[in-house]
Amino acid sequence: MNSSVSWMGKGNGIWARRPWRRWVQFVGLFGLVFAIALGCAGNDQPAANAPAGGGDGRITIGTTLTARTLDPADAYETFPGILLHNLGDRLYTYEPGTTNLVPQLATELPTISDDSLTYTIPLRQDVTLHDGNPFNAEVMAFSIQRFMENGGRPAYLLSEKIANVEATGDYELTLTLSAPFAAFPALLSFSGVTPVSPESYEIGTGSFNPDSFVGTGPYKLAAFTSDSIKLDVNPDYWGDAPANSGIDIQIFTSPANLYNTFRTGGLDVAYQTLDPEQVAALEREESSGGWQVIEAGTNVINYMSLNQTIEPLDDVRVRQAIAAMVDRPLLNDRVFQGQAEPLYSLIPASFDVAEPVFQEAYGDGNFDQARDLLTEAGFSESNPLTVEIWYPSASTIRSIVANTLKESIEAGLPGLVTVDVQNTEGATLWENVGKGVYPIILSNWYPDYYDPDTFIQPFLGCENGSGSICQEGPSQANGSFYYSPEANELIAQQRAEQDPATRQGIIEDLQQMMVDDVPYVPLWQNKDYVFAQEAVNGVAVEPTQQFLLWQISRG
Amino acid sequence: MSSRSAALRYYVFTRLLLAPLMVLTITTVVFLLLRATPGDPVDALLGARAPAAAKDALRVQLGLDQPLFIQYLNYLGDLLRFDLGSSLATQGQTVWQIIRAHFPATVELTVCGMIVATVVGVSVGALAASRPNSPLDAGGRLFGIITYAIPMYWFGMILQLIFAVQLRWFPIGTRYPLRGTPPAGLTGLYLLDSLLTLDFGAFFTTLYYLALPSLTLGILISGVFERMVRVNLKQTLAADYVEAARARGIPERRIVLVHALKNAMIPVITILGLTFAAMLGGAVLTEVTFSWPGLANRLYEAISQRDYPVVQGLMVFFAMIVAVISIAIDILNAYIDPRIRY
Repeated sequence: MNSSVSWMGKGNGIWARRPWRRWVQFVGLFGLVFAIALGCAGNDQPAANAPAGGGDGRITIGTTLTARTLDPADAYETFPGILLHNLGDRLYTYEPGTTNLVPQLATELPTISDDSLTYTIPLRQDVTLHDGNPFNAEVMAFSIQRFMENGGRPAYLLSEKIANVEATGDYELTLTLSAPFAAFPALLSFSGVTPVSPESYEIGTGSFNPDSFVGTGPYKLAAFTSDSIKLDVNPDYWGDAPANSGIDIQIFTSPANLYNTFRTGGLDVAYQTLDPEQVAALEREESSGGWQVIEAGTNVINYMSLNQTIEPLDDVRVRQAIAAMVDRPLLNDRVFQGQAEPLYSLIPASFDVAEPVFQEAYGDGNFDQARDLLTEAGFSESNPLTVEIWYPSASTIRSIVANTLKESIEAGLPGLVTVDVQNTEGATLWENVGKGVYPIILSNWYPDYYDPDTFIQPFLGCENGSGSICQEGPSQANGSFYYSPEANELIAQQRAEQDPATRQGIIEDLQQMMVDDVPYVPLWQNKDYVFAQEAVNGVAVEPTQQFLLWQISRG
Repeated sequence: MSSRSAALRYYVFTRLLLAPLMVLTITTVVFLLLRATPGDPVDALLGARAPAAAKDALRVQLGLDQPLFIQYLNYLGDLLRFDLGSSLATQGQTVWQIIRAHFPATVELTVCGMIVATVVGVSVGALAASRPNSPLDAGGRLFGIITYAIPMYWFGMILQLIFAVQLRWFPIGTRYPLRGTPPAGLTGLYLLDSLLTLDFGAFFTTLYYLALPSLTLGILISGVFERMVRVNLKQTLAADYVEAARARGIPERRIVLVHALKNAMIPVITILGLTFAAMLGGAVLTEVTFSWPGLANRLYEAISQRDYPVVQGLMVFFAMIVAVISIAIDILNAYIDPRIRY
């Protein structure tokens, strides 16, 4: 019953008399054809170990960040913000390497009326849009109006503050605010407040151009796809020409691909986001690998929101005890391998006004103080405290942070505190935060503009509240439900105060309120890392977190 | 003869009638599942920081304030006009534009993966079937088990580490060199477009970038074909009618090609088709591992963003593909096997 047959000729096997010979012939031929095909492919592809840059002066950048949209009226994420900052100009910007606000499309800082409501801004007259049309006050007014009216994600940044925008001359823009706002010039440096061509864009709710950009900046958008973005130099740019001939950005779906491509020389620059282990490896091999590591602090803060509507977090002593339990240096060592900075106020350390108030009041892993506070609040080994910490399931980092906190707290206060770590999918979590579903959430915050206000009002501000609970407003959206008429008053005062010293005093008072009432517990501040090949110059992360592509060049 | 062809026509007609029903069922289930999933698309769009008034206005603008039944009817009405809607996340990009931008990459990867899977699977399967109960047969079995069990992302990363990072024979990911210009063309399929424009450099470059992801996908899927070919060919070659054909003196090649292989291929064709359809919609891991800008990757992103129209549109699109492929398979099988009739 030999079921072996021959159908390729005579013999006993399916492959004829010499089955292996036929098989080897087939595989060999297939391999040869494949090798020839691959050999022919080399003409368009640099060798993997060759320098990324060609001889044309263009710079290649790799990232895992994605750009959902390039419409300045709808872009509200980090990466589109960086792209818009390089594709467009703003009325005001920051001098590279500093936090000094300087005019860009404006010719000088605004003239402010006595009631602090009207800002008059003179504009440059030598600016041309990417489509060849001239830039003037009408274009700027159109762009700001569109930003506010089209209903994009960042629209409220301006629509809540500007009552009227008007071109009061060919090159004079007048903005009227609905309430005094001292940080307004800083807000005007937001990447989306950039002029766009009225011929390419329109005002109308939901009318957006997600994959094109026509503005005034040093680069023009040459290509925009889901996996690559190309910027060409704008030859008609009014300012200094970029130090490179263009930028090619590759978007990777995984940190591993970004890491490996950079290591093998396939990219000039790798920027966001690599895993801590990959960052550590690139730092370790900096001298032998032939690349540079550029490290910078960021203004991205990470914190815990404590929901005051849920018992026992309605008791300030419990909130204070939780603040005392947190061991930030431990988190930095265990979770981040030193690639973060402990955060002791919601205002990042890069601001002069920032005070390490939580460190002074509670320290780190201060379990004795936590025990005293909990005992005072009625908790004991026979009546232990159980707290739930929630985080978005996609965040590996926050998962490790939550579990490190659990281990640390339960080891420091055995039998007295139990930490229950929970997670849910991101969209579900953020939908429910404002409904008060979660007792504690791990969250982060990206500032909209470089001013302490963006770290205060969204956290302590509340429009409607009663008792100590916020019913509607920023603190409710942030999950703490903190309500304090005094805090609201101080927020309004610092927003209206034009004198920096007086304003700083008010902000210090607000930080003290944070540490007394503990609606949030600041945890850590990210560090930003950029990796560049040795021959690449001018790579830096600005103190304002901007990444200036036009400064990058090949040595 | 005429009654057989009439039966086949009736079968084909019935299958074609059932296809829209299948798509409608999938569409309805996806619509309801999305609405039942926690997470508000408006929150995902505007973020928690946006004022309530802005959220309400957007809800009205997107029609999400309407009763569910009305939303469903509107959705079906749009579908009848082949309007799959626009992305909530990008606000300005239609679902068809998203399909146009991402689907060619998925098709190219899937087709190349299928070619690899078929060549490897059929070769190994036939080789194993030719030597029953031999080390070759055992090797074939082992190959099928191993390729079925290995996680895709792990295998992909290992191949990347060896061939792209250590040996540097292949690029690490992506579809085309960053500094190159992809072939321009109507289809978006770089291989086809480069051939149509006679740009052989671009053709081989595309092939070079496709090689590692295709091999990864193909090798892992080949186990399924290997098993099907090995088992079916063994059974078929041992069947009575094959022995009878041999006894009648019919040449071996004719027996295998005309009689045995046709019957042995029925389940293989079915698996081939269904695997192809599944890969078109489910190559997320491959696409993520190789930073491949395909549609599966985009679908995952849309689900995370609660981008209803994109998720619904892509699911309908995939449902139509699956429906078309399964009908094609059924018709092909019915043509091959007269026993398959209603």
